[in-house]
Amino acid sequence: MRHGMPNSEHAIVVERLCKRYGTLLAVDNVSFTVAKGEVFAFLGPNGAGKSTTAEIIETIRAPTSGKVTVLGMDATKSKAKVVRRIGVLPQDFSSFDRITVRESLSYYAQVFGCDADVDALMDLTHLRSKANARFNTLSGGLKQRLGIAAALVNDPEVVFLDEPTTGLDPHARHAVWDVLKGLKDRGKTVFLTTHYMEEAELLADTVAIISKGRIVATDSPARLTEKHANHMRLTLESSDAAAPGLIRNMGFDPARTSDESICVPVNNADDVRAILGEIERAGLSLRGMDVRKPNLEEVFLKLTEEHHSDAANEGSK
Amino acid sequence: MTPRIIAANLTVRLKSFYREKSAMFFTFAFPVILVLVFGTIFTKPEHLDFDLPVQDLSHSAASARLLDALTTDHTFRITPVPAGVDATQYAREHKQNLVLVIPENFAVLEAKRLGARDASVSVPLTYVHDPSSTAVNTKIQVLDAIVATMNQKMTGTPPFITLVATSILSEQYRFIEFFVPGIIAMAIMTSCLGNALNMNAELRQKGILRKLATTPITRADWLVSSILYQLILSIVSTVAILLVSYAVFDVRLHIGVWLPLIVVIEVIAFVGIGMLLTPFAKEAESASAVGNAFLFPMMFLSGTFFPVEMMPAFLQSFAKLLPLYYVNEALRAAMIFVDHPATLRLAGVAAGFAAIVFVAGTFKTRWDGET
Repeated sequence: MRHGMPNSEHAIVVERLCKRYGTLLAVDNVSFTVAKGEVFAFLGPNGAGKSTTAEIIETIRAPTSGKVTVLGMDATKSKAKVVRRIGVLPQDFSSFDRITVRESLSYYAQVFGCDADVDALMDLTHLRSKANARFNTLSGGLKQRLGIAAALVNDPEVVFLDEPTTGLDPHARHAVWDVLKGLKDRGKTVFLTTHYMEEAELLADTVAIISKGRIVATDSPARLTEKHANHMRLTLESSDAAAPGLIRNMGFDPARTSDESICVPVNNADDVRAILGEIERAGLSLRGMDVRKPNLEEVFLKLTEEHHSDAANEGSK
Repeated sequence: MTPRIIAANLTVRLKSFYREKSAMFFTFAFPVILVLVFGTIFTKPEHLDFDLPVQDLSHSAASARLLDALTTDHTFRITPVPAGVDATQYAREHKQNLVLVIPENFAVLEAKRLGARDASVSVPLTYVHDPSSTAVNTKIQVLDAIVATMNQKMTGTPPFITLVATSILSEQYRFIEFFVPGIIAMAIMTSCLGNALNMNAELRQKGILRKLATTPITRADWLVSSILYQLILSIVSTVAILLVSYAVFDVRLHIGVWLPLIVVIEVIAFVGIGMLLTPFAKEAESASAVGNAFLFPMMFLSGTFFPVEMMPAFLQSFAKLLPLYYVNEALRAAMIFVDHPATLRLAGVAAGFAAIVFVAGTFKTRWDGET
């Protein structure tokens, strides 16, 4: 697990953080660090504790125990100072229904007491054409982009984005990703909470996976994939009953995923060629095929399932 | 506390309010409509005019004098009932709650009484009435009074006992003057409580409070801007009610320093109650239910629409536990009776209540959704 010794290069340091609601331990001894200028993606299934952890770092909630330091300040004791240097897009961001985009941004700028360039923020989030539209007339994607703009009014050093693309259509999602890439280019530290693996893979420098309140892995998306999902996946479209036996005899471990398809973990392109050649020689039917490199989604599913099984086994002992 | 943040909150809330037409209607127009409706209904009794079907079987100069007396001051509008019709049947068919029958021998008997000075002669006037009608008693009382006056005039001697009315008020006041302070108090209460509950539920439900919790806004900033926002709405609402009352009903009320003071006290009291009720109204639906459960008993039991003296003793005792009762009474003491000691006492009770609920509400108010 990667959470090196805290130092001044770290924007966020979380140490042995716990949050308990009655008998439920929502966050269980969580520790990690976020380096300045990096995009840190915090992944986890629903109810894993990611939003609770994020809200403690954002100063919205108080921890039961443990310590959170943001830009060198204790997040619990120095809330007033911390909030001035961070920007937050909460989950399901919403604003005042009958207030326009421009008015909303001016409002948050006034609240922070900063001289924000509202036009520049609208340009950054591609909202200029909607400057005079009221919040309740905006689409989901536009609302999220306003939320991101509102999170930037005080020119924060750390930006927290809690599930910024949940519920958005693919076009809106890509538009939000463009904005996030812009933040990364401007050197902001971004703490991204998401359950979209594609989003984390595309944007994050570091990924932490949380399951049942505990961190189960922390690393770059590439290293996590390399470490936890080193197999390519060959999918064969064949209903031939003899195909799985033939492939198994070659030393592979095929699994029939449906009547029409067989999934085979392979190591390289030579394995793919060998399997296809053997099927051809045996005269078996093959309507199509697909080879996929391992991705973060497989790592996520593997790690969270393993952790669920471990937890279940511990519970049954 | 930061004035800049308070100004920002206030601007956003006032703009939101201005752009929501239904909120504008219920805050400003609704109380004004109540004043117009109730004022029109209850100001009417000063100029009574009732329909009175009369079956004149006498058709004489004597019965004409009686009919003249009935229509003096436009008290009754006489509808003639044909002589050959049964008066009871007529009342049923025409849905009349009172029909007067002047007997055929009315003139003859009057002549015997007045001309022959035979004191044993009397004239029976029959009235057919519907006892199930709530309005008929008033009509019968008025009819009785007119007949008594006629009898007294016919005897030619001045009455021995007369009633002289003396008002406890320096001027003659009407129902509308009592009603307007009650409506002012009610409008402020509904606006403060409704806005506090609905606004909070909406902000919480939509997650806006969570966003605000990550800004430099403090609880004090939020509370002060809420109070100022409600105060502005309350002042505009009060001015609208008073303008309409003066323009339409020509009310005579004393507008002095007490009125703004009591408005401030009431705003603080009901914003405080709103803050205390917020934990029970986390969603818009429950906010409206909680608000109504609190508003309606308060509205009807605190003497807004009718004096608490009309209620049974135990309800009168209950009314004295309600803050709106003290606000209503304080406003009436200040605006009608111009009774400064009473106003001070009543406003003092309301202010004490306001201080307690506001302090308690302040401690109860949270930014986040944590429990």
